[in-house]
Amino acid sequence: MAARPIHRLYLPGAIVAAIIAVALAAPLLPLADPVKMEVPARLALPSLGHVLGQDEYGRDVLSRIIWGARASLAVAFFSAICAGLVGTALGLIGGYARGFLEIVTVRSMEAIVCFPPILLALLVVTLMGPGAATLVIALTILYAPGYTRVAFAATLATRGLDYVTAQQALGARPVRILARTILPNVAPPLLVQFSLTVAAAMVLESGLSFLGLGVVPPAPSWGLMIRGARSTMEQAPWLLLWPCLALTGTILTFNQLCDRLRDVLDPRAGSAGAGWLERAAARVWPDASPAAAPSLLRVEGLTIEIETPTARIRPVRDVSLSLAPGETLALVGESGSGKTLTGLALMGLLPPTMEIVTGRVLFVDRGGRARDLVHLPETEMRGLRGDEIAMVFQDPGSSLNPVHRIGDQVAEVIRAHRDLSRAGAAAQAVALLKDVGLPDPEQRSRAYPHELSGGQRQRTMIAAAIANGPRLLIADEPTTALDVTIQAQILDLLAVFKAKSDMGLIFITHNLAVVAEIADRVCVMYAGEIVEEGPVAEVFARPRHPYTAALIASAPEGADAQLAAIPGTVPLPDALPAGCTFAPRCACAAEPCHAAKPAFAEVSPGHASRCFRWKEIA
Amino acid sequence: MTAPLVRAENVSRSFVSHSGWLARRAEVKAVREVDITVGRGEALGVVGESGCGKSTLGRMLLHLLPPTTGRVFFDGHALHDLTPATRRRMRARMQMIFQDPYGSLDPRRRAGDQIADGIMIHGLADPIEARARVADLLQRVGLDPAHGDRLPHEFSGGQRQRIAIARALATKPDFIVADEPVSALDVSVQAQIVTLMAELRSSFGLALLFISHDLHVVRHLCERVVVMYLGRVVEEGDVSEIFSAPAHPYTRALTAATPSIRSRTRSRKAVLSGDLPNPAASPSGCVFHTRCPHAIASCAENIPALRQIAPGWRVACLRDDIVAQHG
Repeated sequence: MAARPIHRLYLPGAIVAAIIAVALAAPLLPLADPVKMEVPARLALPSLGHVLGQDEYGRDVLSRIIWGARASLAVAFFSAICAGLVGTALGLIGGYARGFLEIVTVRSMEAIVCFPPILLALLVVTLMGPGAATLVIALTILYAPGYTRVAFAATLATRGLDYVTAQQALGARPVRILARTILPNVAPPLLVQFSLTVAAAMVLESGLSFLGLGVVPPAPSWGLMIRGARSTMEQAPWLLLWPCLALTGTILTFNQLCDRLRDVLDPRAGSAGAGWLERAAARVWPDASPAAAPSLLRVEGLTIEIETPTARIRPVRDVSLSLAPGETLALVGESGSGKTLTGLALMGLLPPTMEIVTGRVLFVDRGGRARDLVHLPETEMRGLRGDEIAMVFQDPGSSLNPVHRIGDQVAEVIRAHRDLSRAGAAAQAVALLKDVGLPDPEQRSRAYPHELSGGQRQRTMIAAAIANGPRLLIADEPTTALDVTIQAQILDLLAVFKAKSDMGLIFITHNLAVVAEIADRVCVMYAGEIVEEGPVAEVFARPRHPYTAALIASAPEGADAQLAAIPGTVPLPDALPAGCTFAPRCACAAEPCHAAKPAFAEVSPGHASRCFRWKEIA
Repeated sequence: MTAPLVRAENVSRSFVSHSGWLARRAEVKAVREVDITVGRGEALGVVGESGCGKSTLGRMLLHLLPPTTGRVFFDGHALHDLTPATRRRMRARMQMIFQDPYGSLDPRRRAGDQIADGIMIHGLADPIEARARVADLLQRVGLDPAHGDRLPHEFSGGQRQRIAIARALATKPDFIVADEPVSALDVSVQAQIVTLMAELRSSFGLALLFISHDLHVVRHLCERVVVMYLGRVVEEGDVSEIFSAPAHPYTRALTAATPSIRSRTRSRKAVLSGDLPNPAASPSGCVFHTRCPHAIASCAENIPALRQIAPGWRVACLRDDIVAQHG
């Protein structure tokens, strides 16, 4: 993970500091008197004595800008801070306590929002008379509700989180929970709110001064300067430019500073999100003609690389596997083993930050042609996806579109690849939903995803995946999010479909027991490599890699046996051990294991292991 | 059974959900009329599928969620009757471990500070002593004491769960509710945490309410188990007895549906049909009758009471003949 980008604060921070320093130091600077008039030199152009020129009364503009900054900045900052303190406190209390206190704090603030802001400011100014202090009070009242609403919403979202409940469970007082747990976690949006408020307050201060309700002339403020310059806009337009530049420049740098401050305060800063579901630009490859055609799918030496700011890392290395029609291959491994990336790579759905650097994926299509999916142009790949190759994802909740009826979503998949009328596709969709065991399919096809249970959604996903009779189905943890009784139903459903067609199935999972049930062959992955491959029954009965053996031993089955946990954790792809990737955690590791990488070697026909010592552990 | 430490008497909890602009008010009865007891130093497993109310029950035992009806006693005190301040003091003796190690730690505070929270809140030690205690706790949960200075995101899921366990142990509690503490972890790490919890449990003499959907894990860690379905306890008893010869049709379906590495063939006929009913519109009579292969007409009308079929073994099923077939 990258270090926190504190350096990104330097530039805007320095500018803001400079602006504030100059405003504070105004009395000490060798400036002309900002209120001293020199009528003969009115509207004079910039000169050596008056760098920015002179205004309609001949006063020095530079001096007025700097002295004006004092008024504008002071009013803006004070009101933003006061509003922030009051508004945040009310929002936190309302959001945490709910009930009666919520009405008192949050709802009363919302009543203020109902007034037009200028009208409210005018009211306060009229009651209290113009002046900087009045402005601060008026702006505080105006801007407090903004903070309250932001703080309230953030508190509502945070108070239900486990770490807040954990504080309650520890016996912490509400005040402590609010101050030490909730406040720091709702601070980022409040910082943004603060920067917006300062900017808005500066603009409104200028506006009110412009109307003659704020800072009292002849004292300078940016709003008053804009007001003065307006009357002479025809003769001296540059006079309007200076205060406007000062205003926008200050606001922009200030917003920058607050934005970056928020990023820096985020403890997880530096992990930028990546766009999804977009194939990286096709690279030109020396395409070797597919020599021996596989029966359905053969992956040869697949290696995936991610470019990070610091290094190029390879989360999947040298993965080779093959699949025959009607066969089920399980890819099993823990998180970080690269099993999901391998599945996405087969679909050509790697995120754009990743690319396949070596390897081939040979797939035999319906016409019997072997095609290399790695080098296939995106348009042809799109033709295969959803048609000959389909995928089912782990979370059925987020992989169905929430705003479309499920029947339409299944019909969509059919129409994308078949020339079929809307009604024909709809009828087929209903038939498919019936096949996957959705109760009352005619009615249910008109339901939206949120109206279905998790198991029903996964059935729908499977219906969409098998809609065009794919030759290859990749299922990525399709039952992990489901309850065991529902998982049993889905596994049975997949087994029934496999029996009816010669579809090949790649089943990605972390659950060994599920593998035992559904798969013919299994590939055990660890830290980006396949460490063992073979027929399920044989691998489970006689594992030939210490990792597989340890995984089986650590499954909490059996009545009495002590659980054999694997010490340590999976190495990160940017910090792989020099020798065998499993050596640091391996109970059987010897000298050579730490020095060199073992080759993936056959231990018996159809059963291979990546271990130097497989004979000894057998 | 050992002397009771925590006792829930007939507790129920319902949630009222306002479903958006249609303004329908639906009452979801998450937990209904549950009686359970956890003895001193005893580990009680609570097993069931999503929506069965097991997490709600766990939170009620700690009074993090007050029960709608019924009472919870901790060491003889009715939690509901205590003043908030007394209850807060009592919290030093009962703690919680959450499912999601990513959500249960404050992302902005150092691991060591979070572990020390309980000690500081209850004034159990001065800051210097607290630091030493935190270092000791980190060591006991298998982490490097120097790592107390790190932020949560610098740890892996398993390590975070160790931190959460250290935080729960900091006040030397008598009772811990662990809500699916290993479900979010990888298999190999799961085994580490289960082993750690078993170890710590015996060395600290903890009573444990271990909530899980994984029968195998419960079997490893607990002496007794409660099986829940849609807010009700359907079976309760000794772990090994129940899992080797489940008496309630739901427990049977649950054990049959759980795949196993060792036996490749799950009995296909035991697969339950249908989905879990919506808890807002739960079935009349026995909550399980809509999916039960043995349901008869009276199951839809009468709510079966828990009744004893052997010492310490209770089942809620109307079909005596089916229950009698167990084992």
